[in-house]
Amino acid sequence: MADKRIRIKRQSLTNRIFNPKHVMVYATIGVFLLIYLFGALMYGDKGFTTIRTFLNMFIDNAYFGISAVGMTMVLITGGIDLSVAAVASLTGMFIAYGNSVLGMDPFLCIAIAMVVGVGLGALMGAMIHYLNVPPFITTLAGMFLARGACSLISRESIAINNAAFDALAGWKIYIMKLVDGEWVKVKPIAFVNFNVMLFLAMILIGAYLLKSTRLGRNVYAIGGNEQSAKLMFLPVAKTKIFVYAFNGFCSVLMGVSYALYVKSGWNLALQGGELEVIASAVIGGTLLTGGVGNMLGTLFGVMLKSIIPALITFAGNLLSWWGKIATGLLLLLFIGIQRIVVTYSARRKGSCR
Amino acid sequence: MKTKFDFSRIMKSKITWAVIAELMILLVCLIIRPEFFQISYQESTGMLYGSLIDILNRSSEITIIALGMTLVIALAGTDLSVGALVALSGAMALKLMRWDMSEFPTAGDYSITPMFWVILVALGICALFGSFNGLMIARFGMQPIIATLVLMVAGRGVAQIITNGRQMTTNFAAFKFISQGSVLFLPMPIIITVVIFILMSLLTRKTAFGMFVESVGINPNASRVSGLRSSLIIFTAYLITGLLSGVSGLIYASRIGQNDSNNAGINYELDAILAVVIGGTSMSGGKFSLTGTVIGSIIIRTIITFVYYFGVAAEATMVFRALIVVVVIVLQSEPVREFMGKRRTMRKVAMGGELHG
Repeated sequence: MADKRIRIKRQSLTNRIFNPKHVMVYATIGVFLLIYLFGALMYGDKGFTTIRTFLNMFIDNAYFGISAVGMTMVLITGGIDLSVAAVASLTGMFIAYGNSVLGMDPFLCIAIAMVVGVGLGALMGAMIHYLNVPPFITTLAGMFLARGACSLISRESIAINNAAFDALAGWKIYIMKLVDGEWVKVKPIAFVNFNVMLFLAMILIGAYLLKSTRLGRNVYAIGGNEQSAKLMFLPVAKTKIFVYAFNGFCSVLMGVSYALYVKSGWNLALQGGELEVIASAVIGGTLLTGGVGNMLGTLFGVMLKSIIPALITFAGNLLSWWGKIATGLLLLLFIGIQRIVVTYSARRKGSCR
Repeated sequence: MKTKFDFSRIMKSKITWAVIAELMILLVCLIIRPEFFQISYQESTGMLYGSLIDILNRSSEITIIALGMTLVIALAGTDLSVGALVALSGAMALKLMRWDMSEFPTAGDYSITPMFWVILVALGICALFGSFNGLMIARFGMQPIIATLVLMVAGRGVAQIITNGRQMTTNFAAFKFISQGSVLFLPMPIIITVVIFILMSLLTRKTAFGMFVESVGINPNASRVSGLRSSLIIFTAYLITGLLSGVSGLIYASRIGQNDSNNAGINYELDAILAVVIGGTSMSGGKFSLTGTVIGSIIIRTIITFVYYFGVAAEATMVFRALIVVVVIVLQSEPVREFMGKRRTMRKVAMGGELHG
């Protein structure tokens, strides 16, 4: 007897590789490699190609990356979250005020911040879903609330002095190499710190959630067409609330990682950071209309956004505001590519009909 | 035909809630401190003074931008670049007045370029950038949030390049007049706002433009098929918003007497969007109300003034703002309004009254 089970035929490899959904990610990786190559040719002799420069890009931008993981998920559902930087700043304030003024354990403060951040995220998600309020406005209110709370706690920057916290901030894995059967640190000294590990772990968790769980499928389905998702009896409310709560969680981690980076809390810290985070997700190929995006793209989006300041530092004579213009141009380039990809795939779909 | 005073229609209107919110805040002010409403006339400057005047005066920057933003939001878009354009317009104006500061190193009552050109070029460059936004969105069909994010990021960079990263100061009387002068006993910014409001109302209510905007906002494809040039209308809306951001930038620069590429117009995009939404224009596009927007902007400023006036920590404004936003958006949200509407019709049915659509 013939096998009656319906075999789902996998698409051929070339088809899968040239899937227009992935073109954005290739573009991001390609542009990153191009800029890196450019940097290597121009400033290779000044040490642009060293492992240290490469890892520093991670160390200086890990906190944006952590938040970009949650933001990618929110954007895939077709929403947006403007409160991330404010919640991160609030976390920093909690740690700094709790530790330096109230004498609490910083990790207890982080736990409290976690409850507040995740709670606020879930609340915003519920408001967006049940009251049908635009995400932009809801999360804007969340941002005002978190920033206001920061400022009510303290209007000045508070330093964090705690042995355990310092130890965590100073924790490093040095990059070693084998010389004559002995492990020595590479020169110039390069290392990976807790923030970078956290960033990579979050990217992996995000990728796992999106790719291999039912939840991830629901996220894409809601982003593709919320009405259809509802008709398919997918748990739209639960998924949306989870995504915003998860983003709140990522924002708190961003705050922790930023506090580890600067070792202080400030009510105006990371101002405008939410748009940096959204920009890195978009550069990484996430569509703001929802339904498209993945973590690999976001990883390279964050790297691409961090290579520009690095290049400007190496150029030396360029002023920092060129960085803003370069980021703007980069965004323009990527939304241009996105536009072409979307039009192209729409046409392809159209011809199939 | 006689139009009946329909209470439920008024309760359902979004502007009503905004007006009620504003009156509530003012009522609280009145109860706590009646002198909040004092308005005095000062001979020397020929201007009226008082908290209420101050609210109108200080809200003008946001109101002017929000009037343009109303059109953009009615077209189901957003313009995030307005804050950067405020900085850009100020930078351009100061650059034209001081140039490279080598001839006249100190700030004074002079300008290198005539006032006419200062205003024209500053507004022109903002209109140019506004039309860049419009072009990307209308012609290339990019998403408004992301298309305007480009200028939001790059605009401040351009502003810094124009002034070479410097902060220039001016005491040029004609330029200062924009914010400190007065006409008809009122500060100049209020006059500018009123003039722009009248112009915008004429444009949207006396010509077909307003109807076209609503039509495109509700369904761009249907509008295009029925013969409207959607892209031209979208383009115009962004152009107007860019231009109005330039006006707002001139007022701001004139107020502080200098350019500040990093801090001028920061968060203006959020305040302007907020003003529009509080005013009852839905973010998903469609019907809009310029009057509502003005009320929304005044509400935001009233909260800020209220907080300053009563000596609450300045930072608490953010929390107040968040609470007001939450209250307004919850009241305006579809389920709540439907619920309110249903309750009212149910009561009517119970009383044996007729049902009107």
